[in-house]
Amino acid sequence: MKFKFFFVKEMKKFPFFFLLLAFTLLLGTMGLVGISIVTGQVQEKLKNNANELLTSDIAVSARRELFPAEQEALSRIFALYPHQRYKIIDIYSMITHIREKATRLVEIRATEEQFPFYGKLTLRSDKFENENLYVSKDLADLWQVKENDDLQIGELVMKVKGVVEDDSSMGLRGFSLAPRIYLPLSKLLQTGLIKPGATGSFAHHFKLKDYTQEKIQNIKSSIYREIKDSAVKITLPEDSSEQTGRVINTLTNFMALSALIGLILSLVGVFYLYQSHLLARLKDLCLLNLHGLTKREIVIGIIAQFSFIFFVVMLIELALIIPLYKILAPLLSNNLGIELNGEVHILSALTEIPFLFGLSLFILVPLLLGLMRTPMGLQLKASKLSMGRFRFWDFLPFIISLWLFSCYLSHSFRTGNLFFGSLLLVFLLSTLVVRGGQLLLRKMISGKGLLLPTIENGIALRGLTRSGHKLTLSFLSLAMGATLISLILQLDRMILKEFALDPKKPSLFIFDIQEEQMEPLTQHAKEIGAPLAYVTPMIRARLEKVNDKKYVKKKRSYDFRSKEEDEDQRFRNNSLNITYRNFLTDSEKIISGHPFPPGGASDDRLPFISLEKRWSERMDLSIGDKLTFDIQGVEFEGVVHNIREVKWTTFYPNFFVTVEPSMIEAAPKTFLAVLPSGPKDTKLMFQRSSVEKFPNISFIDVEELVGKLSGLFIKARQAIEVISWLSLAVGLVILYGLSHDQVYRRYYDLALMKSLGFSATRLRLNLLYEFGALFLSAMSLGLFLGWLMAQVVGKEVFKLSLSVDWGRILYPAGLLTVLCLVTILASSWRAVRARPRELLSDS
Amino acid sequence: MMKVTNLRKSYGQGEAKVEVLKGINLEIIKGETLALIGKSGSGKSTLLSLLAGLDKADTGEIFVQGQKISSMSERELTHFRAHHMGIVFQQFHLVSTLTALENVLLPLELLKREGALETARNLLESVGLSHRSHHLPSELSGGESQRVAIARAVAIKPSILFADEPSGNLDEDTGDRVMELLFKMVADTGTTLVLVTHDQDLAKKCSRIIHLEHGSLL
Repeated sequence: MKFKFFFVKEMKKFPFFFLLLAFTLLLGTMGLVGISIVTGQVQEKLKNNANELLTSDIAVSARRELFPAEQEALSRIFALYPHQRYKIIDIYSMITHIREKATRLVEIRATEEQFPFYGKLTLRSDKFENENLYVSKDLADLWQVKENDDLQIGELVMKVKGVVEDDSSMGLRGFSLAPRIYLPLSKLLQTGLIKPGATGSFAHHFKLKDYTQEKIQNIKSSIYREIKDSAVKITLPEDSSEQTGRVINTLTNFMALSALIGLILSLVGVFYLYQSHLLARLKDLCLLNLHGLTKREIVIGIIAQFSFIFFVVMLIELALIIPLYKILAPLLSNNLGIELNGEVHILSALTEIPFLFGLSLFILVPLLLGLMRTPMGLQLKASKLSMGRFRFWDFLPFIISLWLFSCYLSHSFRTGNLFFGSLLLVFLLSTLVVRGGQLLLRKMISGKGLLLPTIENGIALRGLTRSGHKLTLSFLSLAMGATLISLILQLDRMILKEFALDPKKPSLFIFDIQEEQMEPLTQHAKEIGAPLAYVTPMIRARLEKVNDKKYVKKKRSYDFRSKEEDEDQRFRNNSLNITYRNFLTDSEKIISGHPFPPGGASDDRLPFISLEKRWSERMDLSIGDKLTFDIQGVEFEGVVHNIREVKWTTFYPNFFVTVEPSMIEAAPKTFLAVLPSGPKDTKLMFQRSSVEKFPNISFIDVEELVGKLSGLFIKARQAIEVISWLSLAVGLVILYGLSHDQVYRRYYDLALMKSLGFSATRLRLNLLYEFGALFLSAMSLGLFLGWLMAQVVGKEVFKLSLSVDWGRILYPAGLLTVLCLVTILASSWRAVRARPRELLSDS
Repeated sequence: MMKVTNLRKSYGQGEAKVEVLKGINLEIIKGETLALIGKSGSGKSTLLSLLAGLDKADTGEIFVQGQKISSMSERELTHFRAHHMGIVFQQFHLVSTLTALENVLLPLELLKREGALETARNLLESVGLSHRSHHLPSELSGGESQRVAIARAVAIKPSILFADEPSGNLDEDTGDRVMELLFKMVADTGTTLVLVTHDQDLAKKCSRIIHLEHGSLL
């Protein structure tokens, strides 16, 4: 009966409080639940389509053709298991559209009969057959390629048989470097494109007759045993889906962190709402306690109420989000580049709910402990009711779970810690600014009257200096929202500026230039009036030893990996491209050690090596280490002499490892070069004529690629921006609640001021000054912090230089100011109509 | 000083309508101290709220110093109150974010009076609270709060002071001391006092007593 009273009657009695609580929770959790649904759908789609993405049960590949001994080993291993097999070669190359007289880089997928074992290629008309040439829809749209058009691929001219509308092995549309074409493997060999050093993947795919996981694992172990070269990769369907999901995961992880800010703000609101509610109800609670309801029962009742509201909110949320997702699925599919259907599996939507519930409940712990500490019997005798004090430790469960949740959402300890650290920083700075500001104001107004210069202002200033933690809370919630918005807007501008607006970017990036083609190509470029720049050799090598000890690659694991472990794994691949040169490009800077001495390496010492900073950190290499590379069977030794920082976004030929010119110059190599920015016609003419003369050389149109990257970035930014504004909306709702609560608490102050002669306008002015000053200073700090963080992230992650975009500071500042002022006026509207007669004893 | 004719006030509508004041006629002379007594619900506070211009009557007229406040707009009433009236409440009602000194200063600076700070300090000293001038209301006792409220009410030298059960929330000793102070201050300044109370002993200290019962004067 007692419990029923607490659980049901309270909720009936205070519908406004519980509605406001539900609304705050709804706004705060909506972003995360929405993102969880999208992520769940993407993961499920990728998991279900894992075989289709790989097209087989297992693939063995390398960035070179497998050596005869390796191929024999594969045949020996697979002889034990009945199977079918085919080979796929994927290479990048230039092709020419003969009718249009245009050239462009494409990804050539050369396949054998039976491709694909899993999945399918859907054509606009007809059926996919392995002996013909097909082009992807992207290329057909870009180039207006029609059936029977002639395409020149290397030395071979082929007719297009059809257009592939959908390829189930393509993970994410729009994320590839170039559009794809399909041709038979036998034809690829006739094109003459398969030359040493060509950039490509050579994969052998297998489908087992009687597939079992055990057999696949046995095969995998046997391959690792028989083929020692780490350049040979084994790919299973789950790897292929994991690889595809990585891009989307990175995006959704960052969106989830932005949404987490919204949740934190709403939880601040929940804390505040409950605190006000419990204080208002304290007298009744004390009376109930006096009549036998224990404190424990009260606390359980509050938890039950909160849990009930939380789960009702979740149901409402799912009822809102699921139909919305169905409507938005086509748009999401288009933006994410992966086909999503509108069907939502409830389970995928529920994954994060327990975490959300835990985190939300933990914010109430300090209040519940405070209630347990309240001497209820004594309260009834006291002139003023007060709850037990909070202690810092009471907040620890929330703080720790917030930290863990940040790491979980970002799938990265580094990002999670950075996020959590930034939150702490904003919190500490906000507290410091509030306390410092209060101290300063107190000094300024000390000994002065109320006319500063108006009485409204004078009272507002006193309100600001004398409000306690509630002022800090409201300041904090707004500052955090403004920080997030400012960070995103500033970073967005900086990155776009870096990618799209840099006039120094080259117009073409040229690769796969054979050694003997270098001179004629350079000559050809000069004749056209477009001399090449940064001609750089590229040598395929493998790191064999570090300080004479065999370099051991980390063992593969299929368990959960954090993003760092994932990156580590990729970085630690010991096969890599290296170069030799004696100079630094504009995009390189030595950060430790010394430049190579002029004139190349002398015979009495090992050649010097320069390493890229992040790569050296991943590989645990430092200055003075002796490295031994295997370059096509020949050992090459050198000593790390310096560490470089590289600005990769310049699109100049840069490498993780640069070697001092020495005997390495004799190694087999291809060349890279760039065509500096210049007239578009010159670029097109050079590209077209070069493809005619040197069909194996590939060109990346940097301008086109930058446009594509910018497009992807804008899509990602838009998604994050939506979440950020949602967070800010939560912040504003909380501010409304806070200022409403403050105004309500001062109801009698306001009525009193009215009885003393303040008009409603003057009262409103007073509130505007007080809360306006608070909001504006919080916003200024938030916008500044956002800008500062953008500069730090820009410099550390993207190597961007410092910049200020006033437009992107003033626009959110203006908008937020208006929103804040409206919020204050709305929250104080009723209170300034307070009737002074209510101050009298009988009222 | 103040003249009230046929003052009526009711709350609620339809069957729930309660007539709180049923045609009050009253005249208050300048400088007198008037006690308005009656049981709870008799309409004392409602009458006080109308006299002080805190609420509007349904019918009837109120004149203060020759000005008809019953027909003034909200704005005019606010202005009139600021210049001519002082009010002391049972619940003290000090502005929570202002110190004791600032609370006294508030009505003076609202009217931009010369030497406001000095006047406020002197007033606080006269109520024996100069040592508490920089304390916030939450740091003051009930008796101290009420003394600050009295100092604030008399700060502008109002022509009429309304007090709504000023000792109702205080213990007997403190209440007596506060009332002593209130009477002394109105006597010193010649201010007219309208005191609402249900304490017969306290009422006897006033120059005139009016009984209110079921919304009518006896």
